[in-house]
Amino acid sequence: MRQIVRRVALRVVWHVARMASLILLSALGTVWLMRSAPGYFSDMRETDPRYAESARAELELQREQQKTVSGMTGKLLKGWLVGDLGQSRQYDVPVTTLLRPRVRVSVQLLLDGIIAGWLAALAIALPLSARRGSTGEMLIAVPSAILLAIPTGAMAILCLMLDAGGPILVLATLVGVRDFKLVYTLLRQTWTDPCFLQARAQGIGTARMMVAHLLPGIAQHLVALATMSVVLGLSAIVPIEVIFNVPGIGQLAWSAAMNRDLPVLLAVTLLMAVGVGAMSIFGAQMATVEAA
Amino acid sequence: MSALHGKHPASLLLFFAILAPARAAAPPTELAWSLKSDPRSLDPAKVDDQAAETVRFLTGGVLLRLNRHTLQIEPSLASSWNTSRDGLLVTFHLRPGLLFSDGSPLTSAAVAASVKHVLDPATGAPVAAQFLSPQAVTVETPDPLTVRIHLPRRVVSVGKLFDEIAIEPSGPTTEGRVTSGSFTIAEYRRGQFIRLERNPRYWKHDPSGAALPYLRTIRLDILPNRETDQLRFSRGQYQLIDGLSADDFRHLAQTNPSSVHDLGPSLNTEQIWFNQSVSAPLPAWEKAWFANRAFRVAVSQAIHRADLARIAYDGHATPAGGFISPSNRDWYDTHLRLPPEGTSVAQQTLTGAGFKRVGASLLDPQGHPVKFSILTNAGNRSREKMAMLIQQDLAALGMQVNLVTLDFPALIERLMHTQAYECALLGLSSVDPDPGSMMNIWLSSSPNHQWNPSEKTPATPWEAEIDQQMRLLGASPDDEVRKQAIDTVQQIVADQQPFIYLVYPNMLYAVSPQLTGVDMTLLQPGVVSNIDWIHWKGDSI
Amino acid sequence: MRRAAIVLLCALVATAASVLLWSPTGYATQDREQISAPSSARHWIGTDDLGRDRSVRVAAALLLGLAGASAASALAATLAAIVGVSAAFAPKPLARALLYLCDLFLTLPWLFLLMTVRSALPLTLAPLQSAAVTFILLAVLGWPAYARVTCAGTLRIRNADWFLQARASGLHPGRVAIRHVMPHLRPLLVTQFLLCIPAFLVSEANLGTLALGISEPVPSWGAMLLSLEHASAFSGPAWVFLPIVLLIVVLLLLQLLVTEA
Repeated sequence: MRQIVRRVALRVVWHVARMASLILLSALGTVWLMRSAPGYFSDMRETDPRYAESARAELELQREQQKTVSGMTGKLLKGWLVGDLGQSRQYDVPVTTLLRPRVRVSVQLLLDGIIAGWLAALAIALPLSARRGSTGEMLIAVPSAILLAIPTGAMAILCLMLDAGGPILVLATLVGVRDFKLVYTLLRQTWTDPCFLQARAQGIGTARMMVAHLLPGIAQHLVALATMSVVLGLSAIVPIEVIFNVPGIGQLAWSAAMNRDLPVLLAVTLLMAVGVGAMSIFGAQMATVEAA
Repeated sequence: MSALHGKHPASLLLFFAILAPARAAAPPTELAWSLKSDPRSLDPAKVDDQAAETVRFLTGGVLLRLNRHTLQIEPSLASSWNTSRDGLLVTFHLRPGLLFSDGSPLTSAAVAASVKHVLDPATGAPVAAQFLSPQAVTVETPDPLTVRIHLPRRVVSVGKLFDEIAIEPSGPTTEGRVTSGSFTIAEYRRGQFIRLERNPRYWKHDPSGAALPYLRTIRLDILPNRETDQLRFSRGQYQLIDGLSADDFRHLAQTNPSSVHDLGPSLNTEQIWFNQSVSAPLPAWEKAWFANRAFRVAVSQAIHRADLARIAYDGHATPAGGFISPSNRDWYDTHLRLPPEGTSVAQQTLTGAGFKRVGASLLDPQGHPVKFSILTNAGNRSREKMAMLIQQDLAALGMQVNLVTLDFPALIERLMHTQAYECALLGLSSVDPDPGSMMNIWLSSSPNHQWNPSEKTPATPWEAEIDQQMRLLGASPDDEVRKQAIDTVQQIVADQQPFIYLVYPNMLYAVSPQLTGVDMTLLQPGVVSNIDWIHWKGDSI
Repeated sequence: MRRAAIVLLCALVATAASVLLWSPTGYATQDREQISAPSSARHWIGTDDLGRDRSVRVAAALLLGLAGASAASALAATLAAIVGVSAAFAPKPLARALLYLCDLFLTLPWLFLLMTVRSALPLTLAPLQSAAVTFILLAVLGWPAYARVTCAGTLRIRNADWFLQARASGLHPGRVAIRHVMPHLRPLLVTQFLLCIPAFLVSEANLGTLALGISEPVPSWGAMLLSLEHASAFSGPAWVFLPIVLLIVVLLLLQLLVTEA
């Protein structure tokens, strides 16, 4: 019993350490990438004769305060430890007040979109992959090629113009069609495994086989795919939120990137790191479950 | 297999659930339009961007108001005002019985406090610099209705500056929640919207005695995406669009022809210029081209400006020769002499300067092929199109031109800090018809003297001459002398082409036919310049 | 089926090449009297908003985009395969390190790296060089999301009975990896390859805002796709949808080409 507790504790420590180091390294990387990218110490208002002077004064002050990457990261991380994410550079308000209402909106959108996309992908891929022959593939090839070819932005504009659907539909389609392709490939491979062929020959029902053998067998795969969906979703919410004007993290991240708002972008990166790290832990847990 | 087929309806159901319309359009109860970004500050004294300026215009009460149409200074909170003969004393007489939106009295003390707050260097108000030496300005209030402002030096057209000073209650700023202007800020959600409510104690009334403004509420959505703006307008969710692009104008004109308006050339210019900075990290021969007047003139001659206006702006622009738009009637120079336009004259100019054509490419007198890049900001379709048209116009001379689009911060770093660029294409928006506001652009010592910023001494005799004329313009109280000075500057610029002017983009607005009383102006805030008088059609006032 | 796909794909490329070669106007020639013109004898499928012949531009964009995006996509899939397979077969610490690297890669804002790369390149970079740099960057940055999937796929094979048997019968692990793992991974990698092509085409055009990508006047397939992100595009001639139709056709043909018959 004690040994099990110890093992569990060790695993928890390991995961926490991994996550913490991931956050630390992403933070350092983000500060370094952003600080060395062109335009960090410049302001659009510098070219406007009316506002140039106040913009330049502000920049001068920042240049003084943010001399080194390590100093900047250190200061920001120190703040994080006490729950202070810093002050937004473009809005001059605490990052936490900017983020809090937006995190909920984006997480909701991501969850809805990804889950809807997954359900749709599975709902179509499961029955199609179980068919013998490649008719299923042919049926779905044209619609999936169409959906893959239309850029996210065009899909969103189309939704807006028709006044139908919304950010969730676009996100779900985007995630769904890509996952469908991968899930289908995977299922197809699994169905043709000798053991499944044999089982089917013995007359075991498709549905039963699916629930009892197929899905558990590829669970780890599905988790890897889910990680990918989350990453895909995270990158897709930027254009989706911008076009649909959803007040979420993606919209904020975009304006933060365009205005070189480092504290805000760093906080968004931190959230990304937590998300990706969490998916990794989830994946590792699934792997152990499977191995057991 | 049959069990599996049962899953299909479920998946269909899911999709229909998502397909349900996002939100039905609500009937308009509040006037709505969009701002491109959040205001950087709601403190009216700290306004330093376009969005905040619009909010200040709608909420801030001012002593004097610049009529955006007639360009006359009109009394507002002050019923009358005068300037002493030497221009050092400005006296305001307030209207009796003025109140702030919360019901507290507005007296000379509040005015003095607001003016002092703006002039305080700690506030960092951009308008303060225009008082020349703001710290030395003193304000006195001999009685509750009189304010006297003593200036250490004469300020040309001083009245206009008070259009930018909102009078607030004494004490810390209420960020627009208590105002003396038409509206007050009722709710602000960052990144989403600002909701304004009518100030019930606003001083202004219409001729029949009804209180202004007519509108009850205004919603300003924060909407960086122009596409959505246009779609929402077509759907009736927005009633105004402040500044349409040429593409959107055409699109809207097809669906709502009665709602789009072209006010003719704006005060803004679009121009290209070559980097003449001595410290620029460019090869010596390129610097020599850019410093060569004949080279710049030839480029200017080769550009077909009528094509730029017709193709890049769909006809909603006017070819430009100088920095003052023909709409700016008081200052436009009708006698400006411009270099003749055409590919063959441009070729002659280049040949005269020792450039020669070898095959498809142009070589400079030392034999270097003429090859450079034009830098512009990404996302402005008209600008990108102009750059592509110029690319082809210059290819006819044998110049090989590359187009580079960058995001604004990266672009500005190159223009303002590293000087690592050859040629840039950008616009300049003019907010004030008086060319005195362009002082920072023309003075050779200014960091905004784009083609060669922050010169210690003028690099060329003609830049020295511009400096001299601009100083005259800034200091002289005599309108005739000022006009003469700016005409001279315009002619020097036309001869030397440090900025090669391309077009004046037309001012394009969209206004819903549901509204009446909208009086659009070229000057900001354009479409809502007379917000007090705008009302819904059919509303009893 | 597969042969038909090859023939059709070749025919498409040949048509594009012949349009490009035999057209009287170049892809950059602006016919300023024929702005956004409809189909005519002179311009078969009309002109774009700068009066450039649409057929020539689409043909050039197709050739350039197809070459660039499929090369980048193949490179990304290869990188994903190398990292994924190595992580699956490597000793545990190394495998963990590789997956950690993938995670880290996924969280960083690479946008700024692209900006920095751009600022290090000269502004007078030729359009084709810029296109090459962009596609290489896309491939180098595009693999981590897929590496995880590949790794999971490889692990499954590694734990399969037949594989253990092969190992037990003394086959060299490297040989096993190449001879037996790769064929099993093929469908997965092929799917990734296909998914990356449209993504890279659009990303290339998106990078245009950072002065990367294919610069004007060379036509870009991605930029043509992105022009559909504006509501005004939908009120223009139907030919603006040609690039998207071609992309659909190309994706279908590639799918046929790489799927096992």
